[in-house]
Amino acid sequence: MNGTSSHVGSSSAEPSFAAKDVPSALMRQTLLDRELVRPLERPVIPLLPWLHVVVIGGRSIMDKGRDVVLPVVDELRALLADYRLLILTGPGIRGRHVLGVGLDLGLPTGVLAELISAEAEQNGHLIAALLAEQGVSYLPHAATAHQLAVHLSASRAAVSNGYPPYELYEFPPEVGKIPPHRTDTGAFLLADAYGAAKIIYVKDVDGVFTGDPAAPNESPPELISRIAAGELLARKLPTLPIDPLVLELMAHAKHQKQIQIVNGLTRGNITKALRGEHVGTIVHAADSD
Amino acid sequence: MTDTVTRTSLESLLMSRSLSDPELMQASDRAPDYAILPDANVIKIGGQSLMDRGRAAVYPIVEELAAVKRSHQLLIGTGAGTRARHVYSLAAELGLPTGVLTDVGAAVADQNAQMLGYLMARHGVPVVGGSAFGAVPLYLAECGAAIFSGMPPYDMWQRVPREGVIPPYRTDAGCYLVAEVYGCRSMIFVKDEDGLYTANPKTDPTARFIPKITVDELIAMDLPDLIIERPVLELIRRARHVRSVQIINGLRPTLIRRALAGEHVGTIISAA
Repeated sequence: MNGTSSHVGSSSAEPSFAAKDVPSALMRQTLLDRELVRPLERPVIPLLPWLHVVVIGGRSIMDKGRDVVLPVVDELRALLADYRLLILTGPGIRGRHVLGVGLDLGLPTGVLAELISAEAEQNGHLIAALLAEQGVSYLPHAATAHQLAVHLSASRAAVSNGYPPYELYEFPPEVGKIPPHRTDTGAFLLADAYGAAKIIYVKDVDGVFTGDPAAPNESPPELISRIAAGELLARKLPTLPIDPLVLELMAHAKHQKQIQIVNGLTRGNITKALRGEHVGTIVHAADSD
Repeated sequence: MTDTVTRTSLESLLMSRSLSDPELMQASDRAPDYAILPDANVIKIGGQSLMDRGRAAVYPIVEELAAVKRSHQLLIGTGAGTRARHVYSLAAELGLPTGVLTDVGAAVADQNAQMLGYLMARHGVPVVGGSAFGAVPLYLAECGAAIFSGMPPYDMWQRVPREGVIPPYRTDAGCYLVAEVYGCRSMIFVKDEDGLYTANPKTDPTARFIPKITVDELIAMDLPDLIIERPVLELIRRARHVRSVQIINGLRPTLIRRALAGEHVGTIISAA
């Protein structure tokens, strides 16, 4: 009999009020007591250690159209022989438009997340169509989460939505109503869950700069080639080519101890990054070198 | 500032800035808030606290929910419970990541939704999930209630906890976020304690009852154990619609009716 039976009037009902437990180390726990949960700490195994995740920016790559997208796709196509890729796409300008309409209508963050995620998916369909001849297909979230292994055994690559499936369950952000878990974050969380070998963000700048590379400046900003996530956050730079939430999440990641940001407008950069060359900016978690 | 000016500046910021831009986030803060289902109430039925106790606890709750749905629209979410604890423990021991734990834990909340659904079928209450969520307004209008599985769909994209691999956002968070996104009238967590205590009253006899508290006060207390998932507190603080929640004791099922009527019968946690 447990302590809660005192809340109940009828004593005849008491015995059957006891919970029907399955014995486990966590039995009867709230799962919120830090001391009780800690003994479960074990090294997490990488599920797909051969997986390489490539994130194709929406605004930075897709929206630039044929002249930018086709060379990026050509480069990815050439990489299929050597790497098994999960290609994830962002929503771009159509996502911004639907956010604008949704915000004007007074819709909540969870609905905005649903709407913008659909645009990231459409960009995924475009990339997958261009690589279909090589056996590459678009996978919806459920297949990406549960059948990625079989898809990547049948094919060298798959394309999916960079947005995480938070949708209606998106968190209200600290300020305003813009959904906080977007392409960069979704891709990072997924790469970490799979224990991928590498995650590369393909953008339209050479990496992280000390200032805005697009703004006319007296002294041109410099490229930061390597920096710790915490230090980068602390610098509070006016523009970042990556969502700051990724930098925050790096501290808790089990596998992804670094990310690489490369310029997709320069041909060969994705290849170099996959081969381990230091192009662009590498951001690493605090506890790695 | 006129409405048109606000809208124009928001739209130009949306087209020109990063979505993390502070000015854009501020501008989006001034957008109106439309409540989608303002008359609905989200009721979370605990897994370990209630479902796992079987019919002694569940039958009276089913009767109470069937009665109150005549006067209040109910979105009934389910927790997971002891089987989730077993599978989390097993999966963690096997070295599997948080994403896999999230997925297998969700199945347990699904089972509880399924069982509650069969018990409430005679009252015309359906179980909804996935794309069927779109039919919720119809169900609420027609029969006053619908049941859903409480686990959020984060799957392999679940946030990773600071320590270990237990998914930090589970069924309390899932149910709360449903209430918030739909702009619901109230969020009531039905558990097996009178509310929040300074420690776990099941294991600590010195635990004191807390009738009412703000999120900031609760975070400052840094309690070693808590009756509600910790990250939910931060979500409540950021909420635009559901700025307080009440935790009540489902072993006294009539409290559900009283909480729906706005009475303070458990612990109220509020944003400020």
